[in-house]
Amino acid sequence: MLTKKTLMRAVVASLAATFSLAAQPLRAQDAGALLDLLVKKKLITDQEAEEVRGELVKESAQTSAGKWKLSTPLTELELYGDVRLRYNYVGGETKDRGPVAAPGAGVAGTNDWIERSRERYRLRLGLRGTLMDDWFFGIRLETNQNPRSTNVTFGADSSSSSPGGGGPFAKGDDGINVGQAYAGYKGFPDFTFTGGKMPNPLITTRMVWDPDINPEGLAEQWKHTFTFNLGGGGGEAAPTYSKEGKAVVAPAAEPFKLKLDLFANFAQFVYDDSNPENPLGARATTSANGPSQLVPNTDAFLLAWQVGGRLTFPNNVYFQVAPVLYNYTGNGDTFNVHFQGGSPYLTNSASLAQNQTGINSLLVLEVPMEVGWKLWDLPMRIFSDFAVNFEADDRADAAGQAGHGSQRYAYLAGLSVGQLKEKGDWQVDIWYQHADQFSLDPNLIDDDIFNAQLNMHGVAARATYNLSAAVNVALTYAHGWWYNHNLGTGGVAAQATGINPTAEYNWFTADLNVKF
Amino acid sequence: MKLKHLAILIALAFGITEARADRLVIKGSDTLGAKLVPQLAEQFKAQHPGTTFDIAAEGSTTGIAAIIDGTAQIGMSSRRAKSSEVGAAAAKGKAMKPTIVAFDGIAVIVNSANPIKGLTKKQVEQIFTGDVTDWSAVGGSGGKISVYTRNTSSGTYSDFKELAMKKRDYASGSQKMAGNEQIAAEVGKNPNGVGYVGMAYTKAGGVKALPVDGAVPSAKSVQAHSYPYWRPTFYYTNGEPSGLAKEFVDFTVGPGGQKIVAQVGFVPIK
Repeated sequence: MLTKKTLMRAVVASLAATFSLAAQPLRAQDAGALLDLLVKKKLITDQEAEEVRGELVKESAQTSAGKWKLSTPLTELELYGDVRLRYNYVGGETKDRGPVAAPGAGVAGTNDWIERSRERYRLRLGLRGTLMDDWFFGIRLETNQNPRSTNVTFGADSSSSSPGGGGPFAKGDDGINVGQAYAGYKGFPDFTFTGGKMPNPLITTRMVWDPDINPEGLAEQWKHTFTFNLGGGGGEAAPTYSKEGKAVVAPAAEPFKLKLDLFANFAQFVYDDSNPENPLGARATTSANGPSQLVPNTDAFLLAWQVGGRLTFPNNVYFQVAPVLYNYTGNGDTFNVHFQGGSPYLTNSASLAQNQTGINSLLVLEVPMEVGWKLWDLPMRIFSDFAVNFEADDRADAAGQAGHGSQRYAYLAGLSVGQLKEKGDWQVDIWYQHADQFSLDPNLIDDDIFNAQLNMHGVAARATYNLSAAVNVALTYAHGWWYNHNLGTGGVAAQATGINPTAEYNWFTADLNVKF
Repeated sequence: MKLKHLAILIALAFGITEARADRLVIKGSDTLGAKLVPQLAEQFKAQHPGTTFDIAAEGSTTGIAAIIDGTAQIGMSSRRAKSSEVGAAAAKGKAMKPTIVAFDGIAVIVNSANPIKGLTKKQVEQIFTGDVTDWSAVGGSGGKISVYTRNTSSGTYSDFKELAMKKRDYASGSQKMAGNEQIAAEVGKNPNGVGYVGMAYTKAGGVKALPVDGAVPSAKSVQAHSYPYWRPTFYYTNGEPSGLAKEFVDFTVGPGGQKIVAQVGFVPIK
């Protein structure tokens, strides 16, 4: 006969087993519903239920998970990140004609290659979660202070406390920086509001935005899904009969459905904070733009308006387009000098010394598009991007390149085959990219492909293989050419090639990525 | 002479030991310690002459801490010990043993002049979290709601958050009171006041307990666990109680003690 005591022991034993077997330790409260039910059925008393609860709490408190204390408002928390080991080769060639400085050590001549190979790592460690009442937050720590990189180069330290000023194995450049810190609200249906240093809320490509950049400011996003049932399928197929003579109903045919996701993303990013806005005494002046003028004391903002849609047909066929308009307001105290971008008619060092970062006369429309489908169960997609700067004439004039206002377009087109979800998956991407000298903001473009420089065009390819669902190896190669030989290749040559114009450019990486 | 002194000292020592053995230190919940436990102690003393009680009712947290620290034999609590408390006890070699001594319903009270007849669970959550700040939003006749809560060391404070507020924070303007009686007194004086008290305190002057989702806080609804804000109340001991503590626990859960439980306004466990 099943006595109460036996039942009690069975309850404790089964709940304890649940605790020890559960992948994520359950909290004692999770067993509360079961205990309440047993009490309600009068199988155990309140006191007995309480003793079981007490035992469970005690066991839970002694597990590793039980020792963590999370604040009450948290409803979900996710720890995530990745580690990457990279071999990188980068090479750039100077132009094939003068003027150049007299050849010598460290001085560029014509058709002179500068090359660099290095071994690097990166760490990104993030924590994101949801809070009560539809709030959310996220933080991510990253190695490297550069907004367009999270890499640290092995052996490149500089540390005053190390032999020789930098190593071996010093920690001078192994810093941890806040890459993301944001909070937001999702309380209204279809809307997401985010503030802080956030993952890029815009749908874009690396032609316009380096994927490492986490913009700062505000973003408002809206997305709504419409589903259209266009008939077909739906009905129950006629039954067939199995060997045992039992009726087996074949699965109903899938109805023909269209799914339309409409979305809008708006962003107000703080591009450059002017400090102070109201200085004591006389305002600073600069003559970098020609005649002496006051250094602006207003902040610079980057504003973006994006609307778009994604139409999904049956069998994973989809089309997406997401035009976005960028505008800049204010000047800031850092990016107020007019962009020039270098010149082939100067020596390399003089060309580099020209302004490469100005954000004057930029009103850019970007139109990223994507078409995806499956061929023999193999996901494929064609992706493209097109951008035009409506104020390129003014930007060229300000750069002293009147007559080159036509250099306003950037475009990219590529093919991607495969996917990266499970162990053994692979993906190959190849694309062509072209960016005119006055088409884009040189401070945002990707610094891997074509060295964060404009007036370049070329090809790139990446092949990735999943060693497991969380680990992959990736090989990337890009080769770029100088496009308009009357202009420099504007932008900060981030990979330390120190060349403007860059006549030819090679980039190769071999990565081992471990995601967690 | 020396032997005589030694004998006196030994006698005194035994006397002290004897006196200490009859002294019961009880700390913790104001809900239990303000009325119920003192009355139980009086009755117990009548049956066990020479027993003395040291009762400090400063909130459930202090009762559980007293068991962990070994400064009381019984810890009164109107809430379950938290995981962190059970873990802290285990680290000190203590075993938190709960004994249910009574059931209680946390009643939502308003001023007796308030025309409101009842609230839903959602409305209670909205009022105490500050989502709603005027009585007109919950069917009342208007007026800025004054929220009275217990202080943070109170078990009722955290129980109510869990039972009624989905663990959300109290309204920023809520006023924290030391005990049930203070809440009842403030609500009784303030026509726009609202608070919560243990069922034993609903008979205070000038207040009325509101039905929640149609369920009235009563002995029957609490015993059937149909009133949404019912809860057990506890004695915590370090493992199975022994000696005088065991006698007092047994007395509390026995017929004599449970009679007092009912008289004071709590709900007996059987």
